Amino acid sequence: MKKILEIRGLSKVHGHKCPLCCDFTGPKHDTNICRHCNSIVAIHDISLDLYEGEILGIMGESGSGKSSIVKTIFFDEIPTDGDALFFDNNEQYSLFTINAARQRWLRNHRFGMVYQSPHLGLNFSISAGGNIAERLLMSDLFHYGDIRKRALELLSRTEVPSERMDQSPGKFSGGMQQRVQIAKALATRPPLLLLDEVTSGLDLSVQARILDLILEIQRDLGTAMIVVTHDLGVVRLLTGRTIVLKNGRIVEHGLTDQVLEDPQDAYTQQLVASAL
Amino acid sequence: MNKNYLLPLDEAAYNFGFLDEYAKKEIRRALLKAISIPGYQTPFASREMPMGKGFGTGGLQITLSIIGVGEKLKVIDQGADDSVNAVNLRQFIEMTCPGISGTEDTERASLIQSRHRIPETPLRKDQVLVLQVPYSDPLVVVEPSESKRKTMHGEGDYSRLLTKLYEDIVKYDEITISHRYPTRINGHYVIDPSPIPRFDVPKMHMSNALILFGAGREKKVYAVPPYTDATPLAFDDVPFRIEDFRDENGKRRVCRRCGADNSFLEESINDAAGLKLHQCSDSNYCNRRLSLSGPARIGAEEGGI
Repeated sequence: MKKILEIRGLSKVHGHKCPLCCDFTGPKHDTNICRHCNSIVAIHDISLDLYEGEILGIMGESGSGKSSIVKTIFFDEIPTDGDALFFDNNEQYSLFTINAARQRWLRNHRFGMVYQSPHLGLNFSISAGGNIAERLLMSDLFHYGDIRKRALELLSRTEVPSERMDQSPGKFSGGMQQRVQIAKALATRPPLLLLDEVTSGLDLSVQARILDLILEIQRDLGTAMIVVTHDLGVVRLLTGRTIVLKNGRIVEHGLTDQVLEDPQDAYTQQLVASAL
Repeated sequence: MNKNYLLPLDEAAYNFGFLDEYAKKEIRRALLKAISIPGYQTPFASREMPMGKGFGTGGLQITLSIIGVGEKLKVIDQGADDSVNAVNLRQFIEMTCPGISGTEDTERASLIQSRHRIPETPLRKDQVLVLQVPYSDPLVVVEPSESKRKTMHGEGDYSRLLTKLYEDIVKYDEITISHRYPTRINGHYVIDPSPIPRFDVPKMHMSNALILFGAGREKKVYAVPPYTDATPLAFDDVPFRIEDFRDENGKRRVCRRCGADNSFLEESINDAAGLKLHQCSDSNYCNRRLSLSGPARIGAEEGGI
C-alpha cells in the first residue's frame, strides 16, 4: 500500500511554552497543563502514518488531543513543532513548511473535513446544494447545470432527499446536517478525509447510517480517512488501525482488534473495560 | 451663503483643485499603482472634503488630483447633468479649479465624473471617466473580514461570490444583481464597478477611455485601464445578460422623448393617468438625439412610443 500521510513529532502547545512544559505534562503526570507556565500541551510528539484507502482511528477521552491532530492537519491550527508529509499522486507536500496559499489549495482541493459541529463545516445562510456548489466552484467548475448534477449526486449518495437540496441545512436534522457535511467534503473527491466526532450527539439509528455511509465511501472511492472518536464502537466498526491518546501523548497504537481485545496500556485497558 | 463662494480664488486661499499639492501627488501615485494592476484596490489617504462621505468624495478627490487648466469637465449623477449632486460637485470643482470649463456634452468633455452611469455616447481614448464608489470591495457581501478578503483577492478565490450567483439562480431562476455587478478585470481581480447598472458593465470591456474608481469612505482607488478585459462573473451555461427593457409583448421599450431603443431607460409613473413612462437615463444623450431628429411623441403610453 502507498503511504499518503506521514506525521513525525507533531506538537501543539497553547500558551508561552517553557522548557519544562513537555517534561511535566502527559500521562505520567496525568495533566496537559504545565505547572510552571500554565501552558496547555494539547499534543506532544505525535507520529503516525496513513496509507491509501485506510481508515485510522484516533481515540481517547475528552481533552486528550484527538481533535488537535486533525485540526492541525487541516490547517485550522498551527503546530508548535513537527513535520507532516502529504503524498499526492507524484507530488509530495511538507504540510507545515509550504506557503499559506498552497495550504489553502490543499485544504480546498485535496482534503475533506467533517466537523463535530455542522456549524463549523456548513454555511447555514445558503442551501445544502449551495454548500456543495461552493466547494465545486473552488475547483473551477463553472457550469451551473453540471454543478447541480454533481451536488445532486453527492446528496443522494449521502441519502439527503433531492427535494431538500435547495433548503438551508439549518432546517435539517442533526444526522442530515452531518450527511450534507460529508457530501460537501467529498465534492472535490479528496484523497484524504478527516472526520472529527461525526456521530457524537446523534441517536443510534442515525449513527449506524452514517457509519455505513463512511464504509461505503471508503470501499467505493478508496478515500483514506482519519476518524477521531471517543466511541469504541465506532473505532471497532470503521478502523483498521487505532491510536490511543491520553493527555496529548500516544499511549498505545496497533491493529484495532489487537488494541481493543488485548490492550497493553493501563489507560487503554481502563477505556475498554469502561465501555464494556 | 458662504462668503468664500463669492471671493476670487486667491482671496479664498484655496489651492488649485482644493487639495494641497502633497495630497494630489499621493493620490496620483495611488492611481498609477491602480492602473498598473488593473482592478486592484489601492489604498490611499482619503482627505476630509467639504461634503459628507457618501456624496462622491472618492471620485471628487481623483478628479481634483488629475484635473488641469484647460480641461473640460462633465459631472453626471444617475445620468443627469442637472441633478443637485452633479451641479454641486461641478460648481465646487469649477470654483476651486480656475481655468477649467464645465460642459454637459459628453463628446466635448475631457474628464467625466459620474455616479451610477457610464454615458451612452462611446468614450474616446483622450477621455477619462471617474466613477464614485460607495463600497469598493465586491467580496464584502460574503466575507466580513478585510484581511480574509485581501487573501481571497490575492488568490483569485471568488467561489463564494459565484455561490451567491448560484443561490440567486436556484431561488429566482436568474441572477438578480441589478447594479454593482461583480466584474473580473484582466482575468484576475474582481471589482465592484460602482453602482452602475448591468447595462453599463459591457461598456468597461476594452474601453477606449481610462476608467478610475474612487471610494472616499473606504479609502480605496482602482482602475480599468483602456483596452482591458472586463468580464462579468457568470456561469458557462447561464451567461451574463443586461436589462432588455422589453414590455409584456416582448417588444423593446423606447424613450418617450427621443425614441432611442438602445439606451438605458428610467421608469416613472404618470400620476394623472397612472401610466408607466420610460425615458433615457442619460439626459445629454437624449437631448442630443432630440436636437438632431426632433421630439418623439411626448407622453406616450406604457412602453414609450
